[in-house]
Amino acid sequence: MSKNIERVQAGEKVFDWLLLLFSVGVFFEAFRIDGGLRLNSAGSFPVGLALVMLASSGAILFSHRRKQRDPRIRSALHEIQVFLNEHFQPHIVVFSIVSVIYLAAIIWASFYVSTFIFLAAMFIYYRQGKIISSLIIASLAIAVIYVLFTMVFRVYLP
Amino acid sequence: MSDTFSYLLMAWLDPGLLGLTALGVLAGIYIGAIPGLSVTMAVSILISFTFAWDINNALALMVGIYVGGVYGGSRTAILLNIPGAPSAVVTAFDGYPLAQRGEAGRAIGLSTVMSVIGGLIGVAVLAGTAPHLADLALQFAPRDYFLIAILGLLLVSSLSGKSLARGIFSVALGATIGLVGMDMVTAQPRLTMGSMELLGGIHYVVVMIGLFGVAEAFYQLHNMAKVPVKQNVSKIVPPLSMVLKFLPLSIRTSIIGVVVGALPGTGGDIASLFAYDHAKRTVKNPSAPFGEGAYEGLVAPETANNAAVGGAYVPMLTLGMPGDAVTAVIIGALVIHGLNPGPMLMIETPHIFWFTVGNLALANIFLLVFGLTGIKIFSKVVEIPKAILIPLILVLCVVGTYSLNSSMTEVYWMLGFGILGYWLKVFGFQMGPIILGVILGPLLDESYRQAMSSVGDRGGDFILALVANPLSLVLTSVITLVLLSNTPLKGWLVGRFQRN
Repeated sequence: MSKNIERVQAGEKVFDWLLLLFSVGVFFEAFRIDGGLRLNSAGSFPVGLALVMLASSGAILFSHRRKQRDPRIRSALHEIQVFLNEHFQPHIVVFSIVSVIYLAAIIWASFYVSTFIFLAAMFIYYRQGKIISSLIIASLAIAVIYVLFTMVFRVYLP
Repeated sequence: MSDTFSYLLMAWLDPGLLGLTALGVLAGIYIGAIPGLSVTMAVSILISFTFAWDINNALALMVGIYVGGVYGGSRTAILLNIPGAPSAVVTAFDGYPLAQRGEAGRAIGLSTVMSVIGGLIGVAVLAGTAPHLADLALQFAPRDYFLIAILGLLLVSSLSGKSLARGIFSVALGATIGLVGMDMVTAQPRLTMGSMELLGGIHYVVVMIGLFGVAEAFYQLHNMAKVPVKQNVSKIVPPLSMVLKFLPLSIRTSIIGVVVGALPGTGGDIASLFAYDHAKRTVKNPSAPFGEGAYEGLVAPETANNAAVGGAYVPMLTLGMPGDAVTAVIIGALVIHGLNPGPMLMIETPHIFWFTVGNLALANIFLLVFGLTGIKIFSKVVEIPKAILIPLILVLCVVGTYSLNSSMTEVYWMLGFGILGYWLKVFGFQMGPIILGVILGPLLDESYRQAMSSVGDRGGDFILALVANPLSLVLTSVITLVLLSNTPLKGWLVGRFQRN
């Protein structure tokens, strides 16, 4: 019976190393709370948690020994290429950038204007054209947001 | 007694509550069914909109969405082979082959009836056991709470995701996030990195919306091009003979669902997996081979995941510990409304408990009504393209986060957690354990420090106390067993046992 060996995704090892580094950072930050190790203080539990994070991220890295590299990956350089192809496809990058711009724009443009532009732009981009229907859907969405959140839920909008 | 009865029927007799429960169930069915939307996401966002509401109204809507959402995921699992919710993954194993055979309508009808049976059994168990468990929980010492929280987090670590190490890391990460801010005892800043803004802590709803909303939206961008295959649906109401035939199996798997759901940290997804495994092992002559359209393979997970809803409320209302990610969010809602989830809830606000029981039962009745009707509209709604859905999810997340404290900084934090959640999800980490860690982290810290103080801060005495008291000993033993079962030692012990 063949054993099912797990495969390491492109970029997974680097990510797991980053988690270990993050755990080290958390440990130092937790250690600073009391400036030492005590059994019952504000810092004792955070230090304990940081140690758990360190141990588990170490175990995650150790588990890579039992895993196989993705057969598509030929070299370290090729791994970067596969990683970028998988996670930085144009439609993902566009959504990420436009989302950040949208969040920044909420402050200096109003919420409704920025939301309308964000929705309309994303609908037009993802639906490959269809400008009129995208604008109609974005307008409808804004109307629903207004009615639902200012009249039904009565919450403060940005 | 008459008070209990009036609380129980409150949601049934008040038109406003009746309407909100119905609306919640209907919305939940669609939210659970639309891939990309999740019940946890919906309830997380809803908290921020309903915290100014009366608690009964807020709970009625959330309970409805929870019950409807757990069921809704199965519809797309059957029709499109795309589980709308994690608890419906197992439903697709036999549900989709049934749809391919042209029996989609019957499969949906049967899954609806079985979901309601499972849901009602779960509610009955909640009503019957929770008051007694709450009485028992009043005798728990802080160390027992500490051990129960550890056990819950350990279970969720080991039962979800790719590996125990990843699960434990997620839980510890969540608990660390939960501890950020000023210490409630000494007022010392903890894990704030010197930032004044972090002294108030990170609101867990911000973390929830980021991890379940934004992260999911980014993750769904990978499946933009997936086009579902449409199915013809007819004859949705199952014949009574069919329901009676599968009733014994549904009762058995409901009990599995309630028990698994009641374990702190587990939920409908794990319950449905256990129930499916049970059906495979115990049903000798299924209607078709399992995985090829066996009705038994549909009945088992569907009853179990809905029964798990009632089960998940048991630790939440009696111990203040979430049974799954959704009840973790609902705990947050109760706290925001000034309530104290845990054994004191039964003493201080018994009406909340009995109202929840009555409301859950009502939600199941609405589930039966909505589940067996409106399938034509449903099949149109679930076809909403992701091109429209994903940008809308982000807008909802922004509105939900901002409405908490009218703070744009929290919106940026939410985006940050969303991006972190996306990468964690890509590399096999689950979001549920992180949220449970955020909720249980401060509770663990508090019970640990109380337990330590009770033994005069002596480490040796603390460890001794974990094995000296009968309840603590049982909990410590279970924790040790769970840990050992995830090490190579388990294989070695099983091998030795089999040889002997």
